[in-house]
Amino acid sequence: MAARVVPVDRNTRPSAMPILVGMGITLKNLVVTVLGQIGLGKKAAATVSFPEEKRATSRRYRGVHILTQREDGSPKCVACYMCATVCPAECIFIEAGERPEKDIEKYPTRFEIDLLRCVYCGFCVDACPEEAIIMSRENDLVGTTRAELIIDRDRLMDRAKVGEYGDGYRPIDHDARRPVRIAALERLRTEHGIVPGMPKRD
Amino acid sequence: MPKCTIDGKEIEVAPGTTVIQAALQMGKEVPHFCWHPDLPVDGNCRMCLVEVEKAPKLQIACNTVITDGMVVHTESEKAKQAHRTTLEFLLVNHPIDCPVCDQAGECYLQDQYMEHGLHDGKTVPEQKVKKRKVVDLGPIMLDAERCVLCSRCLRFEANVTGTNSFEFVNRGDHTQISTYEGRPIAHNYAGNLADVCPVGALLSHDFRFKMRVWFLEATESVCSGCSTGCNIFIDHRDGEVQRLRPRRNVEVNKSWMCDIGRLEYKEIALESRLDAARGRAGGDWQPLALDAALDLLAERLREAGAASAFLATPQATNEDLFAFRALAAQLGGKLDFRVGNPQDKVQVRVDDVLLRADRNPNTQGCIDLGLGQAGVDRILADCASGAVKALLLQGPELLLEPGAAEALARVPFVAVMATHERPELALAHLVLPATVWAEGDGTFTNYQRRVQRIRRAVPAPGAAAPRWEMAARVLRRLGGSFEATSTREAFALLTRAVADYAGLDYRVLAAGGRVLAPGQAGATQEARA
Repeated sequence: MAARVVPVDRNTRPSAMPILVGMGITLKNLVVTVLGQIGLGKKAAATVSFPEEKRATSRRYRGVHILTQREDGSPKCVACYMCATVCPAECIFIEAGERPEKDIEKYPTRFEIDLLRCVYCGFCVDACPEEAIIMSRENDLVGTTRAELIIDRDRLMDRAKVGEYGDGYRPIDHDARRPVRIAALERLRTEHGIVPGMPKRD
Repeated sequence: MPKCTIDGKEIEVAPGTTVIQAALQMGKEVPHFCWHPDLPVDGNCRMCLVEVEKAPKLQIACNTVITDGMVVHTESEKAKQAHRTTLEFLLVNHPIDCPVCDQAGECYLQDQYMEHGLHDGKTVPEQKVKKRKVVDLGPIMLDAERCVLCSRCLRFEANVTGTNSFEFVNRGDHTQISTYEGRPIAHNYAGNLADVCPVGALLSHDFRFKMRVWFLEATESVCSGCSTGCNIFIDHRDGEVQRLRPRRNVEVNKSWMCDIGRLEYKEIALESRLDAARGRAGGDWQPLALDAALDLLAERLREAGAASAFLATPQATNEDLFAFRALAAQLGGKLDFRVGNPQDKVQVRVDDVLLRADRNPNTQGCIDLGLGQAGVDRILADCASGAVKALLLQGPELLLEPGAAEALARVPFVAVMATHERPELALAHLVLPATVWAEGDGTFTNYQRRVQRIRRAVPAPGAAAPRWEMAARVLRRLGGSFEATSTREAFALLTRAVADYAGLDYRVLAAGGRVLAPGQAGATQEARA
């Protein structure tokens, strides 16, 4: 089948018309925005006066992480490394230690996230079996050195600043999604013969 | 030879083969917990049920011997249903604390749930039977709640070590394993308990919480702890060895290794590792670039000529030894390796399982290469009388010998290849940083005269170099030739020069090594010329 050829004439004659149309749009937007800003129109400016003003974010916004706590203030995290495993940016560093409680056993003695490497995908939140890591809506993190933006366990657990932004992405619907995940695994196995897990031992 | 059909494929097996073994020979794994290739069959977990035609009920694959004409289905609907049901029973009281369990990632329960189960649990955690958790048994941590009561550990203790530390206590779903009065495991093979345990009931104390196993990369190697030469995996991540674990070789170590060998990895990343060469300049140590150090060594050896002496180490690989021998031969210096007489201990067992009295991995290689020539006493006497002008040590053994210091003090130039900093190195004039076994390729010859390969798992610190390479570089500086740029080529040179090793190459040795034909050590002496 022959390809369809569409001739395009690039040698149009210069004219003032397109410029006038463009300036018309700019003028219209200027009038509408100014009227909106002073309360005479419906449409306001798209820009906000950051940092005095902050843009509203969705409830599922994926900002800087939060490590949640137990009632006694210790981290809910059990250092299972699921987040570090799933992290596509490999920005999570965990070191596990022993907890005295025999039914918990394990907790992170170090938990660091390199926010400069993080791509804010939220996979860590999805992977966490304990809802120990969630995300806030904090999105205006600044630092003067790289080291400053590798944040440690205590800063991840310090929730003082969170109220300002509100909670972001968290796995409220994990249980609802379980049948979907099992169906996906089943499909992987039946259609592609893939069973996730470790390679066979001898 | 009985012939049978497993899942539609016909296979002929040796008489006495069980269904589970026959399936494995076909590359098919029947799900199981209690069966282990190196332990007697127990048949208690009921996970390996398979459908055998003309049999009224499902049979356990681990204890059903193949008979001629048997037709087995391991994946029929009936068999799959049995796997699911058994798994569900095993999981009824399992705590499912995978997030904090070190076995996660290499756990039979996890793997088989993903492959055969995927059912929803019918119990809630509060209803589960509570058992003892976090019990410290010395080298092992016991968590009785995770146990599936497969009795592998009991059978290991009964049949391999003969120590019988474990017993089942209580009855019904309150059954759990325990040691008598909670006593710790006291023998040298405790690490294997964590390996045989299919779930997270018995875990290594040393590896506890250190690393999730799926981050680890495994390199096949051989333990350097004694002359047995157990086959192992070096599990490492980001250039750091995290643990050693046995690799099955029925003719050497079956599936086991001892705890002494298992902890050998700790020496690799010690602070005291040498990462740069250094030489004495008027009494004080001066750091040297490796090339400059080798220049100095070559110069001193050339000056000494036949008045040089060489001491090899049974810690080195065959390639190291061969290059070292070539260097000694180039100058006509005296050569030996028998510091502390390891050659007498190669065959001596310490216990009835694996460990041997000779704590060097390659004493047999030294014997085979004919390195025992001059006699250590003779070399020391020559040192004391001033007849030795330059002494090159492949390892620090001689420096540690009591009484050697006096003789060494009379040698004008002592060079030593060492892996770790130690005070005795003060006796030397030149220190060359050498790699340890996990940092290089090569071969060891064990007590059976089995030549086995070791492989590089982690990078060497700083300027540390393999011993064969340093010897070859000095040899070239002295006008000799050593036509090898890799251990593979060095081994090829060795096989041409040493009659017993003729015909071997790395490819032949890859799986499980190769036992040399019984020859006499004298035969290699002749080939040396």
